[in-house]
Amino acid sequence: MAASNSSSKLFRVGRSLLGGLSNNAFAGSRPSSELARLDFLSQQTRTFIQMRTNLKVVDNSGAKRVMCIQALKGDKGARLGDTIVASVKEAHMGGKVKKGDVCYAVVVRAAMQKGRCDGSEVKFDDNAVVLINKQGEPIGTRVFGPVPHELRRKKHLKILSLAEHIA
Amino acid sequence: MRLEKCWFCSSTVYPGHGIQFVRNDAKVFRFCRSKCHKNFKMKRNPRKVKWTKAYRRLHGKDMTQDATFEFERKRNRPERYDRNVTENTLKAIKKIDKVRVDREARHHKERMKGKKEQLRKEGVRELDQSIHMIKAPAALLEDPSLTIPKLKVKVSQDKAEATRMEE
Repeated sequence: MAASNSSSKLFRVGRSLLGGLSNNAFAGSRPSSELARLDFLSQQTRTFIQMRTNLKVVDNSGAKRVMCIQALKGDKGARLGDTIVASVKEAHMGGKVKKGDVCYAVVVRAAMQKGRCDGSEVKFDDNAVVLINKQGEPIGTRVFGPVPHELRRKKHLKILSLAEHIA
Repeated sequence: MRLEKCWFCSSTVYPGHGIQFVRNDAKVFRFCRSKCHKNFKMKRNPRKVKWTKAYRRLHGKDMTQDATFEFERKRNRPERYDRNVTENTLKAIKKIDKVRVDREARHHKERMKGKKEQLRKEGVRELDQSIHMIKAPAALLEDPSLTIPKLKVKVSQDKAEATRMEE
């Protein structure tokens, strides 16, 4: 519930920002396709998973929403398949992790596109993680939704075998 | 290696090209280029966009049913390599392609021809049905009441001279 609230707020902020942009840069460029242009601009630009990014948890570890507090690799932040350190912001009662816990997590879905080994690109609907322990084993016993096959290269075979779909 | 079809324009997506979007219900949308991806993000319906294969099929611009399309099919069983089979396949590809191109040309010719014939037929029918609505020029000459009487307008002479002076 709260997650959806926050996401809608984010969307609104992005929209207003982009609206301002469109006034400056595209004023009177093409009035005929104004609707289409607005629709195109209302797409939020997707970026790296960095400090303070909220992510959905798609396993049954008990956490619902985590916030990224550190990306373990990369200057700009984490991408699909990278490991992050996250703080649990919302959790179910009686789960393996509690609110306020700090744990490792693997980004299994990212809205920012990532290049594949053959040169094409892949992107997902949302930003989602699976919580892991220090040894790299998943804390939960189930994984929901699609995960990319790139996790195999990152040695997260357990997550791949638990996943419902592999994209 | 698999050659996929673009979700938007139905063209072939070769390995290393384009982008794919994985929805949360694990449906994969593949796009051959950013043009198709952008159109998808604008929520356009490929059946309503004129340059897509879906539109052309739907509106009878292209062939929809043909035996040559049956060769191009998604097979999940890998074929065991055989030199003779490969050679024959490579020969057949050229032949089938030629046949398909010929049939497409014929389809196009047929499509263009049909319209002209129909227009001519419609013209003839209109002529048959509504010829009584017009009168022949000879009849008009004999009976002046059928025409609109000519109006005589007086042109003042001095005005014409004044304009000449100005020039």
